[in-house]
Amino acid sequence: MLHAAVALARRSLRTTLRRPQFLAPLVVFPSLLLAINTGGLHRSTDLPGFPHVHGFLDFQLAAAMCQSLMLGGVSAGIATALEIEGGFFDRLLASPVPRLSIPLGRIMAGAVIAAAQVVYFLALGLIFGAHIAAGVPGVALVLLIGIATGTGFAALGVMLALRARSASTVQGIFPLVFVVLFVSSAFFPRKLLSHPADWVAAYNPLSYVADGIRDPIISPITASTVLEGLAAAAGIAAAGIALSVVALRGRLREA
Amino acid sequence: MSDSIRVVRALSRRALNEILRVPGAAIPGILAPTIFLIGLTGAFGKAAQLPGFGAGDFRTFIVPVSILQGAGFTGAATGVNLARDIEQGWFDRLLVCPAPRVTLLAGIVSSAALRSLLPASFVFVVAEIIGVRWPGVDGLVIAFVLAMGLATVMAFWSVIIALRFRTQQAAPLMQVANFVAVLFTTSYAPKELLAGWLQTIASINPVTHVLDGARQGFVGAVTWHDTWPALVSILGLQLVLGALAVRSLRRFGV
Amino acid sequence: MPAIEVQGLERVFKGGLRAVDGIDLEVAAGEVYGFLGPNGAGKTTTVRMLVTLLRPTGGRALVAGHDVAKEPHLVRKRIGVALQEAALDALMTGRELMELQATLHGIPPRDVSDRAAALIERVGLSQAAERRVGTYSGGMRRRLDLAMALIHSPEVLFLDEPTTGLDPVSRITLWEEVRRLRDEGTTVFLTTQYLEEADVLADRVGIINAGRIVAEGTPAQLKSEVGRPHLDLTFSGEPDIDRARELLAAFGDPRPPAEGCHLSIAVAGGATAIAPVVRALDEAGFLVASLELVQPTLDDVFVEKTGRHLEGAEQAAPLPEPVA
Repeated sequence: MLHAAVALARRSLRTTLRRPQFLAPLVVFPSLLLAINTGGLHRSTDLPGFPHVHGFLDFQLAAAMCQSLMLGGVSAGIATALEIEGGFFDRLLASPVPRLSIPLGRIMAGAVIAAAQVVYFLALGLIFGAHIAAGVPGVALVLLIGIATGTGFAALGVMLALRARSASTVQGIFPLVFVVLFVSSAFFPRKLLSHPADWVAAYNPLSYVADGIRDPIISPITASTVLEGLAAAAGIAAAGIALSVVALRGRLREA
Repeated sequence: MSDSIRVVRALSRRALNEILRVPGAAIPGILAPTIFLIGLTGAFGKAAQLPGFGAGDFRTFIVPVSILQGAGFTGAATGVNLARDIEQGWFDRLLVCPAPRVTLLAGIVSSAALRSLLPASFVFVVAEIIGVRWPGVDGLVIAFVLAMGLATVMAFWSVIIALRFRTQQAAPLMQVANFVAVLFTTSYAPKELLAGWLQTIASINPVTHVLDGARQGFVGAVTWHDTWPALVSILGLQLVLGALAVRSLRRFGV
Repeated sequence: MPAIEVQGLERVFKGGLRAVDGIDLEVAAGEVYGFLGPNGAGKTTTVRMLVTLLRPTGGRALVAGHDVAKEPHLVRKRIGVALQEAALDALMTGRELMELQATLHGIPPRDVSDRAAALIERVGLSQAAERRVGTYSGGMRRRLDLAMALIHSPEVLFLDEPTTGLDPVSRITLWEEVRRLRDEGTTVFLTTQYLEEADVLADRVGIINAGRIVAEGTPAQLKSEVGRPHLDLTFSGEPDIDRARELLAAFGDPRPPAEGCHLSIAVAGGATAIAPVVRALDEAGFLVASLELVQPTLDDVFVEKTGRHLEGAEQAAPLPEPVA
């Protein structure tokens, strides 16, 4: 099954890379928003209660990564939905390929793309003057959390596609991505969020992911923050994969 | 002349069909700026406490941004619709009719201003609900006039892109211009508080004047001093992009 | 004055693709001209140039007395166009589309409603006029497309493959409409890949292949040029086709076989040629499964000029990029 999943993952990656209009939202919009947030609100670091950072950019990198990873999940969902609409999915079902490898392939591709997204933003940050306070181990942790989160979002995207079956329905999720981002500590420290965003953020797993990604960038590693981030990321990944398997089973039952 | 006006009216009515006859078509255009308004306020609200931000709160400061964003997004949708019409062959029908190219362009773009009132009004109502300062009738009128103007500017831009690429896949390119134009201004903070590079861009970006003009009623009194640069900027953008759009259309086919 | 006059018309796309490679043709006023050719021959490109949607890269074309490159706006006033894709707005009703078309063509407001209604009735869509076009069948969409092309009573009507994809009944209905238009004095320039359509409808036919006109004339003239009927033979078993071909060379000229183990020869004598051919084949030990005497068609004309059959001769034409 792993073999088939890897083959399908490779195929997913190839088709994604050949469609720039899928890649653009993952990278271009978050980069633009990163620039705007940093340029517009860089003085926010002066606010009482703002954590000590080398620069606002260092703080914002986690937000850009989270945004990009979530959009990557939606993208994976749209691509899967297009395959379902186009009949490729049915062709796979009619083949001897193990069932689980079908969503797994797309999810694995999502993991690879997530790694690329994290590396991109780290590089972008470094080019524009950010510091990774925790050095190489910090980068490794950021990658780990990012890949786990991206995998989870890809899995959620696949689940959506299996349930909704139409690409335009999956696309309708875009606004929800930003809602979740805004009610988390991705863009601003949780204590400085306005009410009721601060309250929601305490229960939003993305807050822990963002804090976990951010910690090694803005300071030496704080074990509890990073572990919470890892746990939240692992939780998203596990939930996403489980839900997509359930959605697949549901779809197979209908077939 | 009256023939041209009739053509413009007829094409405008067709463009309005999409909102009137397709349930939910208008929702993305309304939802996006509203989410940004509420979300940014929730996330960055405390930034208004920074010295130099001026009196007032963050949400009041960024409401005009959301209004302009929504209007611009709707304007950019004009190009997406045109790209679809080109792909499906409907545009050929317009091209072989005897109406002059300028008239066709006016017809395609004219509904953008009207359609932009939908997200603009929605955002404004939500803003008032969440406690944004009432801008006064003059402030509101100016904000809406400028929003309609920006919608037309974005419509011209997106039409140029549609005629160049002839496919709906160019939609992100149409939308990203709106994003950049509206946000790379004094969108989040007064100019003095912006990072150096953004200060420079905001100084050059004509939409900064448009934003300042739309914002004035919300953050203070409406003055001619803040109004005329906004009007000049929006008219200038319309003239330049409008001329480029006419040129693009004339080169399309024969 | 001819309705359409074309001299050396050319269209070269980026990459050097010569979609239309210097064609000359003339269409008299009130004539139905059939423009026949396989997919990718250059029919649609030619039409798009004549209706001012595409700029010629060489040559000259006058439609309704006006140059398509120099006076396109005057050409547009006098032509009606129904293109290959019946591009209609699915959200609008038939009546709304007709009235929009009328407005686009400058018909005075007081006449718009009546003209629209009259044409809708003419094409038999009165019952469906208030329904959204998205609910129309393919045949209904084509009829509406035709009605829209006629709203301003054009001098010249361009129909680009009007019956492709239509069921037989819709096709016949459209043919009747074309005949009616000709009777009313409208010039019709009709492109088609169906030789029967050209044969039945056209006063004159131009056959285009690979961007060039290879034959032109009335259907009768063209067929008589090719002249002879042909015998189509199908053998059973596994015959030695080459030997059969050699044997039959004495009776007529071989033609390209349509498929499989078939042979085809053009015979001078018509039905009288059958008996000698059968006798010769029988004496040589061939088993003939079927034999058919076929009178010349426009496909024969095409085969004569190009060595290929018209129908089924599909060329995949790459999507061209316009020359700057």
